[in-house]
Amino acid sequence: MRPALTLLGSRAAQAALTAWLLATLCFGFIHALPGDMALRIAAARVGDERVTVETTERIRREEGLDRPLAVQYAAWLSRVATGDLGQSLVSRQPVRQEIAYHGRFTLGLGALGWLVSYLIALPLGIACGFAPGGWLDRVTTGIAVALASLPSFLVGIGLISVFALSLRWLPPAGYRTGAHMVLPALTLALGLAAFSVRIIRNAVVEVRGAFYMTFARIRGRSAASAFRHHGVRNAAIPVATFAALQFAYMVDGFVVVEMLFNYPGLGELLVKALLARDVPVVMGAGLVIGLVYAGVNLLADLACLALDPRQAARFPA
Amino acid sequence: MSGQAVSERIRTRAERGDRLKAGLALPLVLLAAVAGLALFGPLLSPHDPTAQDLLHALEGPSLAHPLGTDHVGRDVFARLAHGAGRSLGIALACVGAATGLGLGLGLIAAYAGRWSDMAIMRLADLMLAFPGILLALVISGFLGGGVLPMLIGIKLTLWPQFARMARAIAQGELKEPHVEAARLAGFPARTLLIRHVLPAVLRQTTTLATLGLGAAIMSISALGFLGLGLQPPTPEWGAMISELLPYISEAPVQMAAPCLAIFISVLGATLLGQVLSEPDSGQEAER
Amino acid sequence: MSPPALIIRGLAIREGHGALVVAGVDLEVEAGGTLVLIGETGSGKSLIAQAVMGLLPQGFAASGTIAINGHAPVDAGQAGLLRLFWSRETMLLPQEPRAALDPTMRIGRQLFERTRQNDAVAALQAVGLAPEIAQAYPPMLSGGMAQRVLVASVLVGRAPLLIADEPSKGLDSERLGQTRDLLLSLGQAGRALLVITHDIALARALGGRLAVLREGRIVEQGESAAVFAAPRQSYTRAWIEADPSRWRPSLRCCAVDAPVLAGHGLRFGFRDRPALFEGLDIHVPRGGVLALTGPSGCGKTTLGNILLGLQAPDAGQVSWAGCDPYRDRAALKRLRRRYQKLHQDPASVFLPGRSTGLQLADLKEVAPELDLARDLPPLLERLRLDPRLLRRQAGEVSGGEAQRLALARILLMKPELIVADEPTSRLDPLVQRETIALLREIVAGEGVGLVLIGHDRALLAATADDVITIGR
Repeated sequence: MRPALTLLGSRAAQAALTAWLLATLCFGFIHALPGDMALRIAAARVGDERVTVETTERIRREEGLDRPLAVQYAAWLSRVATGDLGQSLVSRQPVRQEIAYHGRFTLGLGALGWLVSYLIALPLGIACGFAPGGWLDRVTTGIAVALASLPSFLVGIGLISVFALSLRWLPPAGYRTGAHMVLPALTLALGLAAFSVRIIRNAVVEVRGAFYMTFARIRGRSAASAFRHHGVRNAAIPVATFAALQFAYMVDGFVVVEMLFNYPGLGELLVKALLARDVPVVMGAGLVIGLVYAGVNLLADLACLALDPRQAARFPA
Repeated sequence: MSGQAVSERIRTRAERGDRLKAGLALPLVLLAAVAGLALFGPLLSPHDPTAQDLLHALEGPSLAHPLGTDHVGRDVFARLAHGAGRSLGIALACVGAATGLGLGLGLIAAYAGRWSDMAIMRLADLMLAFPGILLALVISGFLGGGVLPMLIGIKLTLWPQFARMARAIAQGELKEPHVEAARLAGFPARTLLIRHVLPAVLRQTTTLATLGLGAAIMSISALGFLGLGLQPPTPEWGAMISELLPYISEAPVQMAAPCLAIFISVLGATLLGQVLSEPDSGQEAER
Repeated sequence: MSPPALIIRGLAIREGHGALVVAGVDLEVEAGGTLVLIGETGSGKSLIAQAVMGLLPQGFAASGTIAINGHAPVDAGQAGLLRLFWSRETMLLPQEPRAALDPTMRIGRQLFERTRQNDAVAALQAVGLAPEIAQAYPPMLSGGMAQRVLVASVLVGRAPLLIADEPSKGLDSERLGQTRDLLLSLGQAGRALLVITHDIALARALGGRLAVLREGRIVEQGESAAVFAAPRQSYTRAWIEADPSRWRPSLRCCAVDAPVLAGHGLRFGFRDRPALFEGLDIHVPRGGVLALTGPSGCGKTTLGNILLGLQAPDAGQVSWAGCDPYRDRAALKRLRRRYQKLHQDPASVFLPGRSTGLQLADLKEVAPELDLARDLPPLLERLRLDPRLLRRQAGEVSGGEAQRLALARILLMKPELIVADEPTSRLDPLVQRETIALLREIVAGEGVGLVLIGHDRALLAATADDVITIGR
């Protein structure tokens, strides 16, 4: 139990640091932008034409913009720490509400993409690992390398031009029906599978070549029994570790994929907010992504801990 | 070890060299093609990559426009060639800066140890806590696109890997008897680091740098595609794709050209990294 | 009388389409008997064990016949048939016991799953382990414990023929004794043993029959005691005499010179643990040999580094001909090159990827008085090194040559004291004997002080003037 707590602590620290850095970055950007801050907020609230000196001054007082920068920074941090992310400068909606709305879409897309990627990569990777150097292995390696060399928007464009424009089987963009999910999820899944199929294959090859597998057979197990007893668990360790790293790729993936397919997820929210300089939304989306990343890392660490007794030694009580 | 095993090891080294040369051919050809496009393409094309000609918008390939024109009549080949230089140049600069920073900090962490090691590694952890290009996205987004923000953003996401790897390799290398022997002979710290540690670090980070080059090219094009990278009308592959996307059915060639360019350059870098990372398979059986 | 446990007839092993690496080997192991196969690194002894198990590495092909426990002889090239004997007829005690165990599964579930509880406990106790070890994961075990666990699993198994491949590789003298006792107990339990080793002391202790392998051929074979008493081949004789217990002790040093190295009240320990050593006094005169010994992890290498000025002791002083290298910076700088170390793995002293000759030339940067053209040729001749070796990298010469190149590198710096940290533990016995003789010659001839770190007590007793044991 102790190692799990140590892990939890270190991942929580990672999440806190991410949040702090993002909040500081956003604070810095807001104040580094040229022009009067209060004037900008006033313009955002009441519209450019109706801004007066009085409203600007009132906002300056209300928002505490006349205080020293350090005080403003502390106030900003404490607000972020309590989960108050403010309002979108564009839509006037509370940021939390915006994130909750868009997050749902991303969650669905991410989960589906993840699932499909392992539906592709697991059987293929294991099959390749059992016959390294065979034709299936060579073909899969070739395709995986090619896919890994394509940014996800190119994979998506390829899928759109084949399935949406030429064959007209699926809609090219949108989000209203299940059919709209197919192409974005597949784009994401292919990008993920291009990497994980190699990891799975290598894990299987390595485990099959390990001396403890041979020795299990010398002790009288059949090849299949040796793989069931000793192979699966050992091969799962690097795969679980990699799954967390893949989340980093997922972020690149869904930001681009959502923009390409006009899919209203967190990535789309983030990019549109960046283009509009909507700082509270950027920070909110960034925070959620960073925190989820820390959470995914924690899950992968815990999975490895459960699979691999050696890991316990890495986190001495 | 017998004389036989020794001659075998010498042979293996030579064989590995041959295999390496054979594997290098394809990635080098791919990268040379992109570099050639960047260097000579602008000379071959008489067109200004930003000159609009609305009368000749979305025309297919012709003698005057070998890859056709885009939605505002700009020559796609000229834009592709000018974009090549930008993509490669910025990617190289990103990787160079990240390698320099990462190796420097990694070596310092490994050699000095104690609190400087702690500080550097915590900083690296902090940077790695941002998944993927999120940091580059936010920085480029806020600073309004352009070369410098992109360079800073991508470099920040790349350097921690170099620092971690350099530190791990250097720590291992510093424990090697050849370092201890050199220290006992009285060689100064500078010689230890440069002659004994750096070559091993460089050898093993070349792969990472090559793969980083591919990643940087992808990040640059992704930022361009999202509208957060180089700003129009600057010719950039990702931005070209994003601009032409609405006309994908009318302008397939114009669309395919930048796609292929990205693919070829990233594939070249990835394959090069793979060939360089191929493990020394000359392990001999113990008899 | 039951049939022999193993009959090998005309075994030949070929690498690829090329050279025969093992040829015309005929061997026999009686039921319940022991056969020790001894040979140098590269003699092909492990390949014979692998051929019997049907485990030859890729690229090797075997011919000849192998008959196991009275079954019909099998073509040695049919690895698949030989594998059918696994567990019921043949069992392997692997060279690296820890690599043979799945790191993610408890010992009990892994090795004693199909054994009754009482039998497993009895087997573990027979090898001196507590039954609780069944709950441990393999990475928690030391190499020695893993080996004992495997022997216990062999005890509960049925296989009458056991093959032990280099069971003593890389063990210190204490663990060597344990391994010998384990093998003897397996023999007493009625199992037939084929033991592959290069350790003469182990071969002598196991008794039974002995076969000597040289370059893939058996040069001599017979009852172990008879071969040791009266070897017929000169090669066998050289091997037996290379055993340090046969060495004639060298003349004691009688110099009462000012010590070239001294240590007073030395103490060292890792944080939160009891000190490895404390209040240690050391004294090495010119031309004297001091041996340091003790079990693995006792701190003998650390002590060597402390004496060399590489790591400050927790307490006490080191004296280099009267100067303390940890307090007197100027003396450290002046004397640095005179206090040198000979490493365990000689090839690793040289930077990979750079020829050894260039690396000797590099020494001019720190030793301006060095004149390679003048100093190197006589040195190479004395160390019997071919100058052409200098064009190679250290990984491309044999172990003995690498150790002599490392010695040449040190001698170029005109040392006053050499700390030799297990300088021969990775060398074959014949090369070991040659290297130690060379070291003694240099110590006597140049008046260099030598601190010899090792675990082979017989070797140290025969070489050193004085032996200090650390730990316990």
